[in-house]
Amino acid sequence: MTRRSALAAMVLGGVGFAAFGPRGAKEDARGRIVLDYWEKWTGHEAAAMKKIVEAFNQSQDRIVVRYLTTSGIDQKTLITIAAGDPPDVVGLWAYLVPVFAESDSLIPLDELDTKGEVRVDRYATGFRELMTHRDSKGKTRQWATMNTGGTLAVYYNKAHFREVGLDPEKPPRTIEEFDAAHRKLVKRDADGSLTRAGFMHIEPGWWSWIWVFQFGGGVYDAANDRSIIGAPEAVAAYDWMQSYSKELGVDATKKFRAGFGNYDSPLNAFLTGRLSMVIQGPWLANVINAHGPKDANGKPLIDYGVMPAPVIPSLVDPRNPVGLVEGDVLVIPKGCKHPKEAMEFIAFTQRQEHVEALSLAHYKSSTLAVSSEKFLNEHPNTGVRVFDAVAQSTQGFRYPRTQAWTQFKDELDGMAQRMWSIDKPAKEMLATVQARTQSYLDRAEEQRNLRGRSIRTATPPTGGGA
Amino acid sequence: MSHSRAQLKKDLLGWLWVSPWVIGFLAFLAIPMGMSLYYSFTDYPLLESPVWIGMGNWKRMLSDEVFHAAILRTAWYAILFIPIATAMALVIAALLNEKVKAGGFFQAAVFIPTLVPMAGSAMIWLWMLNGEYGLINQAIHAAFGWAGIEGPNWLQNANWAMPSILMISLWSIGQMVVVYLAALKEVPDELLEAGALDGMGPVRRFFNITLPMISPVILFNIITLMIGSLQVFAIPYVLSAATPGNDPRAMYFFTSSMYDNAFRYNQMGYASAQAWLQLLITLGLTAIMFAASKKLVHYRA
Repeated sequence: MTRRSALAAMVLGGVGFAAFGPRGAKEDARGRIVLDYWEKWTGHEAAAMKKIVEAFNQSQDRIVVRYLTTSGIDQKTLITIAAGDPPDVVGLWAYLVPVFAESDSLIPLDELDTKGEVRVDRYATGFRELMTHRDSKGKTRQWATMNTGGTLAVYYNKAHFREVGLDPEKPPRTIEEFDAAHRKLVKRDADGSLTRAGFMHIEPGWWSWIWVFQFGGGVYDAANDRSIIGAPEAVAAYDWMQSYSKELGVDATKKFRAGFGNYDSPLNAFLTGRLSMVIQGPWLANVINAHGPKDANGKPLIDYGVMPAPVIPSLVDPRNPVGLVEGDVLVIPKGCKHPKEAMEFIAFTQRQEHVEALSLAHYKSSTLAVSSEKFLNEHPNTGVRVFDAVAQSTQGFRYPRTQAWTQFKDELDGMAQRMWSIDKPAKEMLATVQARTQSYLDRAEEQRNLRGRSIRTATPPTGGGA
Repeated sequence: MSHSRAQLKKDLLGWLWVSPWVIGFLAFLAIPMGMSLYYSFTDYPLLESPVWIGMGNWKRMLSDEVFHAAILRTAWYAILFIPIATAMALVIAALLNEKVKAGGFFQAAVFIPTLVPMAGSAMIWLWMLNGEYGLINQAIHAAFGWAGIEGPNWLQNANWAMPSILMISLWSIGQMVVVYLAALKEVPDELLEAGALDGMGPVRRFFNITLPMISPVILFNIITLMIGSLQVFAIPYVLSAATPGNDPRAMYFFTSSMYDNAFRYNQMGYASAQAWLQLLITLGLTAIMFAASKKLVHYRA
């Protein structure tokens, strides 16, 4: 080959790649519109969603949904929107909605949902706020629909309860009752090492800050855009957390925890019986069924119950338990190729039979305001009614709806370990963290100010913090 | 065809030949670097257009406590890792340079860990360092348990996070060992023999002959180690995410902060400023090392 022909081949190759190289197909071979849907789930959760996608693809002949499971979906969505080439539908975590909404990076569903198929009032009370947020002009819009919901409650081992003389049918409701149960459930071996704990706030540690709400407080004052993690209720909650650490022993619990296996494994501390009570979502039942000990017939041996997370006496309300309400949402990014078709697909996924089928496969409660009796009766999680009650509760709480939440939460998560280790008294640590988290909120406000959309209309009140 | 036309054609042909590299350089290095320099002076949340804020991001770095802690942690890591890794790699290379049986096997054994991807080695060490079931603590218990000495909770105790990361990093110094080994083999035998004839023992020969002879290679390795140390990210990132009950801030380094600001906190402008600071620090330290090397490094004529 001569130099000239090598060069010609190189140039032709480049031009050919640019002209005919791979690019996202807008239509498939049958002329159907190709809709790209990105989702974060893997394993059985992804498979359940895939069934709904397939049902949609078979239900009509104009649109075909191309379903892609991907990791790091939040960052990839961010980058594709910034690059102007996002997928048509994305499954995000609900707490990310404010980040995308405030910059108008999503298409408001209330603009596309002309038939009212995904109106927020179709959903359980707790989920409604998760789907809405203000846009860049301050107007509240609906940006998302719930895909699945996740509320939190406490799982408890009924056999352990019976063993120490607690009534498994009357689980503790207040913090005081909960403390008494925990103390009874603690077991140590001859040399004093822990072999079982009743409860540990930092296991699994995914929601370290929620206890503030169980004491009637909060972490973020949305009306004034302020961090309130130093408020007296928060101090009380973290004092409570430290009381467990003191009682069990800081070093003892660190060593004890080191032996806990991964959440989704047979070494999960609740499954091995090392923890008698654990805060979790409805999905833990799946782990119990998949990895927990079983009898000869394959029936799970762990006899578990589910109770709302304990609260101070003034918050006890059996019909309105206090608990975190979160979930996965479906959104349509701005700049996508087929917004109307995306809406059609989303509406299909929100039909009751599909919502319930997906929730069943994920072991979760339904996101809808009304669940069918069949769904509740056939649910593989025996505690589903508790999770559903939290979703329907007027005392449910959500991740703070601020775009600074990721940074805010990282600070709270970091503090939780130091709190458990009793590096400093709770009040002192919270004062520092309040100042730091406030600086994150201030930074977000600065960003809004630069773009002329401040949300702080009045001078924030002073005091209230530590 | 005139001479100038022929020259022009020759030049164009030359540019065409190097164009794949030039295009790659412009598209993936020069333009992104220029853009990131611009972004470092803007507020840029990725989802919205950048807004010019002058030195705002640079000033913010002065008051960002989390970032300061991350820089300090990175500095400590570099201060500890560079001398330990250099000394270890030199000792191992010197040992491998001796004529021993199965030398090839030992060379391969030292080199193989460098072939394991960072994330993979972090996952292996995650279990090795497990406080209760980990191999290391089991070994400590077997050896010293009788005296009441037990291994720490390596990854869950903030004080042991740095030693854990250092240990994992030291596991993969094989590439450096190979470079040192090659350098050691290049040391002229006649110099060592002359030293021996002059009555030098093996230790003196090593410090007075071998080390000066391989000093350019040591300088090269120290600079690459320094650059790698300032950019440490994958191992602490994986360990931190996969260890329940650890303090995430105990494994938070310079690059962790940059990554979070860019992709998790929507502050690409600030992350760009951090990236440029990292580059400036790296350039500054490299310049200092080169300046210092004038007296310390021996180049053969």
